[in-house]
Amino acid sequence: MSLLSYLIFVPILAALLAILIPARLHNSFRVLSLTISIIQVIILILIINRYSFRAGFQFIEKIPWISLELGTWGILKAEYFVALDGLSLPMVALSVGIMLIATISSWTIEKNQKGYFILLLILNGAIIGSFCALDFLLFYVFFEFMLLPMYFLIGIWGGPKREYASIKFFLYTLLGSILILLVIVGLYLSVKTPDSNEQLVHTFNVLYMQDSNNLIPGSVLSLNSDKYLGPYSFRLWAFLLLFIGFIIKLPAVPFHTWLPDAHVEAPTPISVILAALLLKFGGYGLLRFAYPIFPDGAIHFSWLVGFIGLVSIIYGALNALASRDLKRLIAYSSVSHMGFVLLGIASATVEGITGAVYQMFSHGIISAMLFLIAGVLYDRTHDRLIENYSGLATKMRAYTAFVLIAFFASMGLPGFAGFMGEVMIFFGAFQSHTVNGLVPVWMAITSTIGLLLGAAYYLWTIQRMFYGTYAVRSSLMDLPDLDRREYTMLLPLAVAALVFGILPQLLLNYINPFAIDFVSSWFLFEKLLTP
Amino acid sequence: MTATEFSSSPFLLALILLSLPLVSSCVAFFIKDKFAWLSPLISSLLLLLTFLASSVLLFQVDSQPTNKFTIDWFSINNKPITIGFLLDTPALLMTAVVSFVSLLVHVFSAGYMAGDKGLVRYFGLLGFFTFSMLGLVMSSNLLLTFCFWELVGFSSYRLIGHWYEKHTAARASTKAFLINKVGDLGFLIGLMILWSISGNLEILSLPPISSTWLTAAGICIFIGVIGKSAQFPLFNWLPDAMEGPTPISALIHAATMVAAGVFLLVRIEPVFTPDCLVLISVIGSITAIAGAIGALFQFDIKRILAYSTISQLGFMVMAIGSGATESGYLHLLHHAFFKAGLFLGAGSIIHAMHQAQHHTPDAMDVQDIRNLGGLRKKLPITFLGFIICSAALAGLPLTSGFLSKELILSEMSVWASSAISWRWVIMGAAWIVTFLTPLYIFRLVWFVFFNKPKNEIQIQEVPLIMRVPVLMLSLGAITFLFAQDSWQLTSIIGRLVPSSTHTDITITLVSLILISTSLVTGYFIYRQKELTMQSDLLSPQFYLDWLNDRIVRFTLFLSSITSVFDKKWIDTFIHGLAYLQVTLAHVVSWSDRNLLDGFVNGTAYSTRGIGSMTRSLANGKIQSYLLWAMAGLVIFIFWILY
Repeated sequence: MSLLSYLIFVPILAALLAILIPARLHNSFRVLSLTISIIQVIILILIINRYSFRAGFQFIEKIPWISLELGTWGILKAEYFVALDGLSLPMVALSVGIMLIATISSWTIEKNQKGYFILLLILNGAIIGSFCALDFLLFYVFFEFMLLPMYFLIGIWGGPKREYASIKFFLYTLLGSILILLVIVGLYLSVKTPDSNEQLVHTFNVLYMQDSNNLIPGSVLSLNSDKYLGPYSFRLWAFLLLFIGFIIKLPAVPFHTWLPDAHVEAPTPISVILAALLLKFGGYGLLRFAYPIFPDGAIHFSWLVGFIGLVSIIYGALNALASRDLKRLIAYSSVSHMGFVLLGIASATVEGITGAVYQMFSHGIISAMLFLIAGVLYDRTHDRLIENYSGLATKMRAYTAFVLIAFFASMGLPGFAGFMGEVMIFFGAFQSHTVNGLVPVWMAITSTIGLLLGAAYYLWTIQRMFYGTYAVRSSLMDLPDLDRREYTMLLPLAVAALVFGILPQLLLNYINPFAIDFVSSWFLFEKLLTP
Repeated sequence: MTATEFSSSPFLLALILLSLPLVSSCVAFFIKDKFAWLSPLISSLLLLLTFLASSVLLFQVDSQPTNKFTIDWFSINNKPITIGFLLDTPALLMTAVVSFVSLLVHVFSAGYMAGDKGLVRYFGLLGFFTFSMLGLVMSSNLLLTFCFWELVGFSSYRLIGHWYEKHTAARASTKAFLINKVGDLGFLIGLMILWSISGNLEILSLPPISSTWLTAAGICIFIGVIGKSAQFPLFNWLPDAMEGPTPISALIHAATMVAAGVFLLVRIEPVFTPDCLVLISVIGSITAIAGAIGALFQFDIKRILAYSTISQLGFMVMAIGSGATESGYLHLLHHAFFKAGLFLGAGSIIHAMHQAQHHTPDAMDVQDIRNLGGLRKKLPITFLGFIICSAALAGLPLTSGFLSKELILSEMSVWASSAISWRWVIMGAAWIVTFLTPLYIFRLVWFVFFNKPKNEIQIQEVPLIMRVPVLMLSLGAITFLFAQDSWQLTSIIGRLVPSSTHTDITITLVSLILISTSLVTGYFIYRQKELTMQSDLLSPQFYLDWLNDRIVRFTLFLSSITSVFDKKWIDTFIHGLAYLQVTLAHVVSWSDRNLLDGFVNGTAYSTRGIGSMTRSLANGKIQSYLLWAMAGLVIFIFWILY
C-alpha cells in the first residue's frame, strides 16, 4: 500500500476499531479521532515531501478491483486507482487540515459520541478517497459513502430543524449523484481500454475516458455520435448532467437552497466540513471529470457555466446581505465565493483554472474560520440572530480580532489567500475573450460587483454586531472571550490564510503545472473535434 | 544581485524603512493594557528611525529611473509577477514626506490621545497605516501597489472607526470603506485590462502603445483614484471620515490615504492616453470647485478642512490631467505639510476646548466655528502654526503653496493655449479655485481666531508635544526652506520639476490680484456678520449622500427580493417536488397493497393449488420422476429449437 492509501484507509480502519470500543468510554472516541487526524497530518507531510512539482499524476496506486466477463458485452473492469496531481494534492492537504480542526471542534459533542466519531472517521476517509480516486466507479462509491455520514451527522446532532435540513441536503445531493451515475453508465458503455484489441474491455478509468482514442466508435458518447436528444447530442447532454450534478454540490444558483438550511442546522464542526470540503467537490468534479472528459460540451456550454457562476456571485451576495442569521449569511457568502470558482473554470485559461483551484483552497480555509466563529457565538448564547448583538468588540477583543481577520480575508483583502484566488480568476476571466473567447468581458467586469457586495455585508455585520455599545439580548452577563481550544482552532487557520496570501507560490508550485497541462491537453482534444 | 551587493545597496535600507512601521504595529499587538503608555513611545521612536532612513535614502540615492530592485513573487502561466522597490525621485520624496508627517502625527497623538482606552490599538494601526502607504509608494509592480492600496483602505477603515462605540463613527468607517471599494473595483478592472493586453504589471514597462483598451484601462484605474483621492462623484466619504480622531484626519488628508490616488496618477502617467487625460482634468476641475464651495458653507472646523482637501486634490488631479504632472505632484507634497499642519492645529484647538470644557458645565460643539472665536490670544503658538499653513493653502507669496500653485497655473495656461477650446473652461475652473481658496480659509481663520469669543471659558495652550508638530509642519509650509541651497532640497525638487518650467509673471500677477481680492472680499463679508448662511444643496454633500442612500436602499431592496425568491420560489418548487414524490409514493403504496398484493396473494393462492397438484406428482416413485423429467426435457428441447 502506498502512503496515499494509508491516508484514505487509516480513518476507515479506525472507525471499524471504534465499533469494538464500548460506548461508555466517552473520551476514547475523541482521542482516537484526534490521534488519527494527527497520524494523517504526518502522512501528509511525508507525501508533500516526496511530491515533485510537475504536471501529471504521482503516488499512483492501481489494483484490480472488479473484473466481470459479460460475454458479448465485453469485460467490466473497475480498479482501485488512486493518485495525486496538482489538483488533488491541495484538496487532500486541505481535507487533512480541516478534519483535524473539525475533530478539535467536535470536542464538545456530548450526545452519543461513539456514533458521532465513527461517522466522522468514515467521512474523513471517504472525502480523501474521493479526492484521490481516478476510477469513476471508485469515486462514486467514495462519494456516496461521504453523503451518508453527513446525512446522519446533520440529522442527529443538528439544530431544531435538523430533520428537514438533513433530508433536503440528502435529496438534493442524491439528485446530483443520480445525474452523475447516469453519465458514468453512459461512459462505461462508450469507453474501452486502449489495449483491448480482441475483446472489448470496458473501463471506469478516468484517464482513459479523457482520451478520445478510447471511445468506442458508434457508442452513445462517441465523438461523432449522431444520437441526438432534442437540440443536443448525447455528449452535450452528458456534460450537462455532470455539470448539474456537480454544481448542486458547489452549490450554484438555482441549486443552492439546501446549503443555508444544512449549515444553519448542522453542528459547528459539520458546518466546517461541509463548507470547507464538501463544497469543493463541485469544482473538483468539474475539473477532474466534466471538463477533461467532455471538452466539447464544456466549450459549447462555457457561456452557461460562466453565467451561472456570475449569477451565483451576485445572487449569493445579495442573499447574504438580506440574511438576519449569522450562519445563514456565511452560508450565502459561500455560494457567492464558489461562484468565482465557476467563473474561473468557465474561462478555461491558465489563470482562470489556477485561480479556481486556489480559490477552492482559500475558501476552504476561510470558510472554516467563518463557521468556527459563528460557532463560538452560538456556543455561548444559542442565538445566531445578528440583530441581537451589538458592541461585542468592547467585551470580546480576541474574538473580534479573529472575526475581522476572517471577514476581511473572505472579502478579499490583499495579504490573505482569498485575494490571490480572486485576482487570478478575474485575470483569467477577463483574458478569456482574447485567448479562447469562452467568457465575455462583461461577465468578468460584472463579477467584481460581488467584491463590493461582499464588503457590504461583512462590514454591515461588523457594524451591527461588533460596533456600538455592548448589548446581548440572550445573556445579561458579559460573554467570555475565546478559550484555549478555540484559539487552537482559529489561530492555525488565520496563519494559513495569511501565509497563502503572502506566499502564493507555495501553492502555485502544485497548481500551476496542473493548470498549464490541463488547458493545453484540453485544447488538443478540441482540435480533434474540428477537423 | 548577490547578498553582499544587496546589503550595500539602498534597497536594504528601503526594506528596513518599510518594515519599521510594520514592526511598530506588531509590537502594539503584544503590549498589555497595563503598559499602554509604552505604545506611543515605542511607535514614535520607530517612526523616527523610519524618517531618518527615508532622509538618508533621499539624499544618497542618485535617481536614475532604473533604480529598481525586484524579486519574483509568484508566476502564473509562466509569466512572473515581481515585487520590489522602485526608488525614483517621486517615490523617495513621497517616502520622506509620508514618514515625516506620520512621525509628527505619532508625536501629536501621544498628547491628543493620552488616556484613550484603545491607545495600543490606535498606535498599532497608525503604524500599519504608515507601512501600507510606504509600501504603496515604493512598490515597483501595480499588483503590489493594488495590495497596499487596499491595505491603506483597510487601515483607514479601522482608524476612522476608532471610536466604534459611537454609531456615527461606525457608520462613517463603513461608508468610507465601501465608497473606496467602488473605486478599487475600477482599479482592479484596470489591472485586468493591463494584464490581458500586456501580461505584465511592472510599472516601468507598462505598454506605451495607445489603444482603445489602454484608454479603458486608464479610465478604470482613474476610477480607483476617484475613490481614494475623494474626487467627484465619490468624495462624500471624506467629510464623514472626520468622525475619526483628528490626528488620523491629518494623516488621511495629508500624506497617507488621499495622497495615494494622486501619487498613483503620477506614477503611471504614461498609461493615460489623451482621451483619458481629458476625463481626468474634467473630473479634477469639478471636484476642485465643488470642494471649494463646500468648504465655504460648512461650520464644522474639520469638515471645512475636509472640503478644502477635496478641492485641493481636485486641483492637483486637474493639473495632472492638463499635463502639469510634476507641478501637480509638487503641490501634493506641499499640501501634505500645510494640510497636516492645519488638521493638527484644528486638533489642538479641539483638544484645548475639550480640556476647558471639563471645567465648565455647558456642553457645546467645540468643532463648530460659530462657537469659537478669539483664540488668537489664548492659543498663540497654535495660531502661529495655523496661520502659516493657511497662508500656504491660500497661496500667499513666500509659502510653498504659492510656489507650486504658480507652477501649475503657468503650465496650465500654456496648455490651454490661445485658441478658444474646452481647455479654457478647465483653466477658468483653476482661476475660480484660486479665488475661492483664500476666501474659505479666511472665513475659518477669522471666526476661530479673530472674531469675538462667544463665551468666557479658560483655555490653556496645548502641551508641548502637540505644539511642536504643528510648528514643524508650518515650517515645511514656508518657501525659503525649499529655496535654500544648503538644504539640497532644491536640487531634489529640481530633479522632479524640469528646469524648463518657469512661472509666468503675468500669471503670478493675476493670481496675486485674485488672492488679494478674495481676502478683501472675505474681510468685508465676514467682518461683522454672524454665520447664518446655510445651503440646502450643500448640507447633504451635493446630494451625493442622497444618491448613496438610494443605491444602498436599492441594493437592500434587491437583496430582499432575492431572499424572498429563495424562500418563496425555489424552496416552494423543491417542496412541491417533494410533495409530488410523497404523493406518488402513497399512490404506489396503495396500489401495492390493493393491486399488487392482490396479485401476489392470488399468485400465492394459485401456487398453492399447483403445489398440491405437483405434490401429488411427487409420490416417491422413481419411475414417475423419470417420466416427468423426460417430459420436461422434451418440452425444453422443443422450446430451444422453435
